[in-house]
Parts: sequence; C-alpha cells; structure tokens
Amino acid sequence: MRPWMATALVASALIAGWLWLTLGGVVRDLFLPPPGELWDAFVDLLQEGYKSRPLWEHIVDSLIRVFVGFGAGAAVGTLLGLLMGYFPTVDALAAPFVEFLRPLPQLAYLVLLIIWLGIGETSKITLLFLAALPVSAVAARDGVRNVSQARIQVARSLGAGKWQIFRHVVFPSALAEIFTGARLAVGIVYGTLIASEIIAGTSGIGWMIVDAGRFLRSDYVFVGILIIGFMGIALDRLLLAVETRLVHWAGKQ
Amino acid sequence: MSNFRALALGSLSVATGLLGWWLIGALGIASSDLLAGPGDVWAALIDILHNGYRDTTLAQNILATLGRCFAGFVAATIIGVPLGLWMGRSRMADASLNFVIQFLRPLPPLSYLVLLILWFGAGDLSKIVLLFMGAFPTITTAAMAGVRHVSAQRIQAARALGASPRQVFRFVVFPAALSTIFTGMRIALAGAFSSVVAAELMAASDGLGWMVFSASRFLRTDVILLGIILLGLFGMALSRALMMIDTRLIHWRGRD
Repeated sequence: MRPWMATALVASALIAGWLWLTLGGVVRDLFLPPPGELWDAFVDLLQEGYKSRPLWEHIVDSLIRVFVGFGAGAAVGTLLGLLMGYFPTVDALAAPFVEFLRPLPQLAYLVLLIIWLGIGETSKITLLFLAALPVSAVAARDGVRNVSQARIQVARSLGAGKWQIFRHVVFPSALAEIFTGARLAVGIVYGTLIASEIIAGTSGIGWMIVDAGRFLRSDYVFVGILIIGFMGIALDRLLLAVETRLVHWAGKQ
Repeated sequence: MSNFRALALGSLSVATGLLGWWLIGALGIASSDLLAGPGDVWAALIDILHNGYRDTTLAQNILATLGRCFAGFVAATIIGVPLGLWMGRSRMADASLNFVIQFLRPLPPLSYLVLLILWFGAGDLSKIVLLFMGAFPTITTAAMAGVRHVSAQRIQAARALGASPRQVFRFVVFPAALSTIFTGMRIALAGAFSSVVAAELMAASDGLGWMVFSASRFLRTDVILLGIILLGLFGMALSRALMMIDTRLIHWRGRD
C-alpha cells in the first residue's frame, strides 16, 4: 500500500462515518449537519450573508483587525526588542513587564480594555496590539543576542561605527528570528481575535460563529470554522512567503 | 551587566510602574471605578482570602483553572507524544493521520468551543476537550518533527555497532527527539493556559477567568486587576517551571 492510499482510505472512512452519523439518523442535524446541509449553508452565506451583512464583509472586518493590531504590535514590539537586545539597561528595565504580559491570557485583560475603551474597534485592536507586542519583543531581543560575536568584531575591526554595525550586521542577522516571532505573533493575534469577537462584537467571523451557535445553527458554525481555518493557513503562508523573499539568507550561513 | 544590577534595575522599573499606577488614582486622573489603585487590589485580595468571591474561595478558583489546564494538557501529552513518535517512524501512520492533525492545528480553539459546548454540555468536559484539542496537534507535530530530524548518521552508527531497532529507538531516536518534544509541550501549555481563561468566560461557575469576567459585570476593577495579576504570575511560574525541567532533563541540548 502506498502512503497516499492510506490518506485516501482514512479520509473516505471519515466521510463515510460522517454520512452514516447524519443521514443514518444517529445524531440530530443540530449536533452535526450532513454534508449537503453544510454546502447549502455555505451557498446561503455567500448569497445572503449573515445578519444583513455579506460574508466577505465579516471576513474583511476580521482581517483588518488582525492586520492593524498585529502590525502595530509587531512594529512596536520589534523596536523594543531590538533596543532590549542592544542595550542591557533597557532589557533590565523592560523585561519584568514583557515577561509578565507574555504568558498572560489575553482575554483576562480584555474586560479592562472594554471598561476603558468601550466595546468598539479600539478595545479589540488594543487587545491584539498587546497580544502581539511581547512575543515580537522577545523574538527581536533573542535575535540580537544570538548574533555571532565574531561577526560584530570583524565589522568593528574593519572600522564600522556602532550604528553601522547595527544596520549592516546585527539587524540582518536578527531578521530571521524577528520573522519567526512575527509568525508566532500572528497565530496568537488570530486566536485572540476570535475570542475578542466572541465577547463583544457585531461583525467578524468569530462573532458569526458564536452568534450562530446561540441560535443552534450548527451548519453556519461549521462553515465559519472552516473559513477561520483556511484564513489562518493563508495568513501563515503569506508571512512565510514574505519571509523567504525578505530574509533569503536565513539558514545559509 | 551583572545579575545584581539587572535585578536592581528590574525592581526599580517595577516599583516605578507601581508608583505610576498609584499616582493615577491618588491624583484623580482616573476614578477608582475605572482603575482601582494598588491599595484597593490588596484590600480585594485580603477580602477574597477571608470571605471568598461570590460563594467561591480563591483557592477553589485557582485550582479549577489550573486543574482544567493540566487535565487537557496531560491528556494531549499522553496521546500526542506516542502518536507523534509513531508517525515520525512510520510513513503509513503519517499518511493516515497527519492531514487531520494539520487541519486542526491552525484552528483557534475558541472557534470550535461553541460546538464542544453543544456536544458535551457547559461543564468541565467541554473545556478539557477544548484544551486537549488545542494542545494535541502541537505536541504530536513536535514529536513527529523530533523523530524526523534525528541525524541519519547517528542511527547508522548505532546500527553498525549492532543495536536492534528497539535499541536504536530507545537510545538514539527518543533522546534526540526529546528536546523538540519539550519545545512543543511548552508552546502547547502556554496555549492551553490562554484558552482555559477564554473557555471560562463562555460557560463556568468557578476559575480565575470566571472571577475576572464576573467582576467585570459589576465594574469591580479591583477584583479584575487581582485576577489579572494572579493569572500573570501563574503564567510566568508555569513557563519558568517548564523551562527549568527542560534544562534539567535535556541537559545535552545545544551540545551536540
């Protein structure tokens, strides 16, 4: 048996199981919709949208939140991390806050942000900003720290100034780790986004899933989960493509 | 910079942060409804230690959150590590199961929480299954990658010295994969800790996450901040502890 046959076999077993469970009447549609119903729900969402908003609007709303929150958080976090890596004093001053914020469950501080900033976009984007910041900062700091000392010394002995060393040696070497951090941050931001839309929102894919769940429309829930899954994969692929373009020297040293 | 100086600067920075926090309330920049001061949070801690919070004790809430987190994480480790090792060794196992795991992996756990509540009810079971499903793909993938990245040279050397396949696995492959497995477990536990708080928001009657959300409904920012500080400290302790076990257990990391 070839490996692809095993894949096909298990996949068809799963689909057969799904058909048997749903069409065979073992579980109610409420718990697990049959494939046909899922497709109908997808077509329905494409044509009618969800709660008077077209489907693409929910997707775009979610994506804008991710890009703004992640972009701002990764930019500030990377800058902070570079400073932390380069100047031990900055590291000592900022480390307690970064180390505290990093493992803190994002949703725990969402309620404070809602009290302070309301339930609109500001609190969501601030949440995503705070979610992306510590991960990016730690990645940039470690990236700077892991730059080989030999290289820095070579540059210095060739007469490079502090800024030149940073610009031409430290930053390019740290860039690979900065990107690894960015991909990690995008994953966290994306997971947090869904959570934030669940708590307070009137648009977005995460909101759609929870709202549909409230009305026991599990067909919409399933379609939403599939959309979220594919969006997540697409986001990660996008960053990976940017990374291989930009940091083409990674792993070739 | 010496460790002592770093520690002193860190403490100085935390103290400045606390002072700034206190000044916001003391100077009347924000009302205590919006931001309880450090004194209020301390008072809330003492109050909750003595009287509990809405019929739950603090210890009960801490244990509920950590217990759920560990239950999901341990289940994911027990199933994920052997499965990942097997998938790393056998192409057939990889082909049969990997596509399911790689589909689950990028899904934010919160997105399927609605379904789990529908299937398993609003009790602990749906939360533990949620944490399991969040942690399991990460751990399995790490174990698989760990087995794959073992240097072929080493395996051949062991085989040339007469090691049986079982011995090769026990003494060469498994120790070499352990460092990757641990990295996966660390990432998975951090994710589970994040998800457990989110799950407690959707449906729970105890836990630190529940305490924070319940307090937010009554605008009790002192209790909210107390919960956030406790969650942050537990999060730091968890990641430190795993880090320490990691360096202890896998003392050969980075020395190959």
